[in-house]
Amino acid sequence: MDKKSDVLLRKLLKNWANRQRPPENERARLIWEAAHVSHSNFELNLPVFRPQYKAYPSASINDWPQTLFSWINENSLQIRFQTRLG
Amino acid sequence: MEAALDTELVFSLQAGSLEALGVLYDRHRGLVFRTALAITGDAEAAADLLHDVFLRLFRFAAHIDPHRPLEPWLYRMTTNLSYTWVKRRQRWLRPLEDIADWLVSGRKDTPAYQAEMDDSWRQVQQAVSSLPLSHRGVVVLYYVDDLSLQEISEILDIPVGTVKSRLHYGRQALKQSLGLLAGEILHDLQYEFT
Repeated sequence: MDKKSDVLLRKLLKNWANRQRPPENERARLIWEAAHVSHSNFELNLPVFRPQYKAYPSASINDWPQTLFSWINENSLQIRFQTRLG
Repeated sequence: MEAALDTELVFSLQAGSLEALGVLYDRHRGLVFRTALAITGDAEAAADLLHDVFLRLFRFAAHIDPHRPLEPWLYRMTTNLSYTWVKRRQRWLRPLEDIADWLVSGRKDTPAYQAEMDDSWRQVQQAVSSLPLSHRGVVVLYYVDDLSLQEISEILDIPVGTVKSRLHYGRQALKQSLGLLAGEILHDLQYEFT
């Protein structure tokens, strides 16, 4: 293609692509969604500070036999898995 | 913050600054929207992709090198997401669109329909959309975004020789498709926005 028609093609395609403008009202939605993404990333970035055991509801604190039973149950299961994987 | 460099804004973005995201959005949204629109040929899809690209910019800011220009990252993300959109559409929606086209085929002859579709631009749209996706991306980055062959090669992660050959074939195909336009409406179209 010669240079002149190449320039023509460039102008044509540019004009075609510039016919529509980006939406004006999307900024606020982006910021709102990013704020929520930011929140979930914050949670994901803090595994070190998360306790590695399950937190039990405060109502069951006095119910220690049940808590102890659950703890043994879950941890023994975890140990069994680890042994198999190991 | 409005006057801050992209480098500074990316650092702020990495620290979680939503204000920096807003400034980068205002600064680069034209580039992303234009590229997405030219590749997909769909304004609604381009708006969605614009949103998606900047959301990803925010989410993956930690992986971006602030010392390097941001624009190539934006171009890369935009072309990749646009390619994905086009492929999905081809797979799922094209058969439905064919049926819809067939259903309204009688209406296509009416003057009102012709005016509505702005036929001249529609032909340009069709010419670009008929290019294979890989050629389309190169043509858009070269002609619409004014990028060099080297820049396109880096953005699309393909050799310069491949960029040249895709550009050559894309250009030839466009010339053929728009050949009829050259003597009739090309002159009107080229001065409309310049």
